[in-house]
Amino acid sequence: MANPLDQFVIKTIVPITVGDVDASFTNSSLFMVIAVAAVTVFLTRTVRDRQLVPGRWQSIAELMYQFVGNMVRDNVGSSGKPYFPFIFSLFMFILMGNLLGMIPYSFTFTSHIAVTLGMALMVFIGTTVVAFAKHGVKFFGFFLPHGTPWYIAPVLVPIEVLSYFTRPVSLSLRLFANLTAGHTLLKVFAGFIFAMGLAGVVPLAASVALTGLEFLLAILQAYVFAVLSCIYLHDALHMH
Amino acid sequence: MAFACGAHMVAGLAVGAGIGYVLDRWLGTSPWLFVVFFFLGAAAGILNTYRTATGMGMALGYRPAEQGNEEGRPGATPAAGAEETKSQRGGNRGGQSA
Repeated sequence: MANPLDQFVIKTIVPITVGDVDASFTNSSLFMVIAVAAVTVFLTRTVRDRQLVPGRWQSIAELMYQFVGNMVRDNVGSSGKPYFPFIFSLFMFILMGNLLGMIPYSFTFTSHIAVTLGMALMVFIGTTVVAFAKHGVKFFGFFLPHGTPWYIAPVLVPIEVLSYFTRPVSLSLRLFANLTAGHTLLKVFAGFIFAMGLAGVVPLAASVALTGLEFLLAILQAYVFAVLSCIYLHDALHMH
Repeated sequence: MAFACGAHMVAGLAVGAGIGYVLDRWLGTSPWLFVVFFFLGAAAGILNTYRTATGMGMALGYRPAEQGNEEGRPGATPAAGAEETKSQRGGNRGGQSA
């Protein structure tokens, strides 16, 4: 039986070394490039010959745009408009990465914590910079909830600071853990199909059901990542 | 919901323990800062879990919107905007908790 974790192995395709840093082009990078290319082609081709009554493809693109647009408006408010392109790119990139991972023999780059933590840190640092630019020193008032008795403050402030720093970790952990666990489970069940002979029908049925679940997770996790980014952005913009 | 809470707890512990470990290595105070930050991280994780579970999002130093408005201008009723944002954020928590 093939090792169910083999699918996460990173293979170097073009070795590149910058100084002491290994910046090789790997299968992970390849699939990121494919994801970006797929999103770009999808979004530009579908709206190239626009019609008042959209066809199927144009309809999909418009629905996605509207979906993210509503998400930003509901969670960030109208002041979140300038950040819509960022959230939309993030959402489409993660969604395409998750869905590409569902193709057999492909590589799921969102199942690596290096990738998800990179994106989460981008959101985290970005929102912190926005909060600083918007509120200046008042930003630190974030860590002391209003009306806290003074004797609680020495305990509460470190907890609030730590809770702020857990944001990128829990954000990235959720995406990474869901994708890794789901794909591993799929492989484990698939491995049982031949090993169990005729009784392999049972894990086969489980595999089919799990594939459906994985598609749900792929879309849901992209949504969750984007919504949480919106909520962090909301906190940064509208500190009370 | 369950998974979101789990992620919060793990993240709180991991960040707390990580910061404590790094500070210990740097300041040479092993193992005291590790222990302190471990518990602070656990507290932060539970705080985040509590806020997620009670539908307060992950907002730090969270205050209800109307309280913030009362402070600024006591007479003025919060405009539709503030109320709207709040209810919509509340409505969206079902999605976030998945």
